[in-house]
Amino acid sequence: MPDQKLVNVTIEGRPVSVPEGTTILEAAKTAGVLIPHYCYHPGLKIAGVCRMCLVEVEKMPKLAPSCATTVAEGQVVNVYSQKALDARKGVLELLLINHPLDCPICDQAGECELQDYTFQEGRADSRYREPKRFNPAEDFGGDVLYVTNRCILCTRCVRYMGDVAGDRALCVEERGDRAKIGIAPDHDLSHAWAANVVDLCPVGALVSKDFLNKARAWELDRTASVCPNCSQGCNITLETRDGALMRMKPRSNSEVNHFYLCDEGRLNYQWVDRGDRLEAPMVAGQAVSWEAALTAAGAALTTGARHVVASPSLSNEALWLLKQAAGVGTFRVAQGTEAPLPGVTDLARRADRAPNATGAELLGFTRAANPLSGAGDVVVIAGDDCAGLDTAALASAKHVIFLGTAAPAALPVGAIVLPIANFAEEEGTFTNLRGRVQRYLQARPAPGFARAGWLAMAGLASAAGKGGAYTSAAAVFAAMAKAESAFAGMSYDTVGLKGQTAPGARVNA
Amino acid sequence: MPIQTRVVDRPTTETSYVRATFQGLALTFKHLVDPHKVTVQYPEEKWDIGPRWRGTHRMLTTEDGKAKCVACGLCPTVCPANCIKLVPGVDEQGNRYPAVFDIDEFRCIFCGYCQEVCPEEAIHLGRHYENAEYDRKDFVYDLKRLTSQTHPVCELWDPADPKGE
Repeated sequence: MPDQKLVNVTIEGRPVSVPEGTTILEAAKTAGVLIPHYCYHPGLKIAGVCRMCLVEVEKMPKLAPSCATTVAEGQVVNVYSQKALDARKGVLELLLINHPLDCPICDQAGECELQDYTFQEGRADSRYREPKRFNPAEDFGGDVLYVTNRCILCTRCVRYMGDVAGDRALCVEERGDRAKIGIAPDHDLSHAWAANVVDLCPVGALVSKDFLNKARAWELDRTASVCPNCSQGCNITLETRDGALMRMKPRSNSEVNHFYLCDEGRLNYQWVDRGDRLEAPMVAGQAVSWEAALTAAGAALTTGARHVVASPSLSNEALWLLKQAAGVGTFRVAQGTEAPLPGVTDLARRADRAPNATGAELLGFTRAANPLSGAGDVVVIAGDDCAGLDTAALASAKHVIFLGTAAPAALPVGAIVLPIANFAEEEGTFTNLRGRVQRYLQARPAPGFARAGWLAMAGLASAAGKGGAYTSAAAVFAAMAKAESAFAGMSYDTVGLKGQTAPGARVNA
Repeated sequence: MPIQTRVVDRPTTETSYVRATFQGLALTFKHLVDPHKVTVQYPEEKWDIGPRWRGTHRMLTTEDGKAKCVACGLCPTVCPANCIKLVPGVDEQGNRYPAVFDIDEFRCIFCGYCQEVCPEEAIHLGRHYENAEYDRKDFVYDLKRLTSQTHPVCELWDPADPKGE
């Protein structure tokens, strides 16, 4: 933004230049200082109710709430002056008056801003000797449980539901120390995007019923990934413990999902840990080595007309190598209802309930209602679980090569089965419906002998004599970017962890 | 040039064993006449161990016999030997409780961090030293065993002088 006027301020002795109109709190972030705050959230309207972000601004008579004060030329801000520290200590003491000391059983412990800031700046003990206020926990519907006692009334959830989700379900009810978050009569948090209040809540007042008492925040390993549940491609963090997926959280990306993730996206993850996974390559019902299975598959590919059934859940890399090995084919996309988030431009739970339909189309695969119809001599099924498909065509095929995570019941006994990893177990990229190519990383090992999608496809391609000697997903992507004009000039470096729009998609759109 | 050596006469008084033998026998006979007790007649007599002795664990219980533990996960986190296995669960009243709480006493280094970190004062080290078992697997104490033990527990610090001044 070249026409924007820059303002020079000094925050904690560090000079920074920020665009005019920036708040002190945001300016401090660029200076590398995180001013403690509760009610402020970059995705929400500024409320200025928690008084936690008070800082001392020189030449101002009183302490200023940094979330609601914009910077001015030559301003000198002291975040850690004694006056500011004392004020914030007082705010924390008042917040803790009725806050229960139940951190040991609170799901937020370890990622709680009240815990963190109290540890940084709060008093070691409480001077409050009266009994604490007690209110029972309330079920807000959807995936949200409201633990009233822990609430610090920052009103992030109220503002989110009203301004962003467009459903004024929440409000602050009662007054004074009886105040709590109330839910409007005949309302509940079953809004398609309501569970974001759990992430927005800085304390453990709004907790996920799905995650309740499941794991401690510090035990979780976090991996950057992309939500596989629809074509929006929301950036997510996979949180695993001992290789088991515990929850999915949104990862902020201002180009895609901002700070949000829909309920269906975040709760539809149990299939990742399903127990009936394929673990070893099989030929005619016998477990064999990968070499034997790939040799058999390579030989089978040359025996007649090929019919390829792809899946929009495969990565761009796997689909491209599938195209190399067996040629393009058709795929089907599960459909659902679209549910937009009104407060954010171009963000919705999309009707296409698969992450990579656009990527498959850019690579030349086409949609079909029944991708198995008109099957040839050699049927290659990659990633499709065949559920609900008319599988009569499979019986007449000479060879069936199946690449997938779990074996469909309809698979003929003589099929060549190659087990592949799901999105949590491999590295790759998805292309979302706007053509944005986004990387996802491996969160845990694949079960048994299952291989990453791109590695299995590369083996298939080289067995069919179509090249395919690749050692990493990055190398496959680089080769794909060279060969496919839709992805020209891209690499894992340029895509990064926030994604990049594919040139081919820009032309089509 | 040869190495210069010097022959020294061996001292007779200090090397003679005769004197030392009699000194030793004198001590033996002294104990025979005036026995002051050193040997503890274990197991009839038990050794008196200090209040800060750190032995095998015990889980304290509430009045209704349930473990005090709320499965907060701090002890497995702090444990330097990684010997505590904890799986949280939710009981009928909706309270968090340890569905699995196993301590591998072979791995334990008896540092006492678990007792120190416990916010509920549930897990304690015991003032206890008789740990023999017939089977190695019995050294993994489960919740049932931890709660049913009754031996006294360790005082990690003197309540009158918590900072050890």
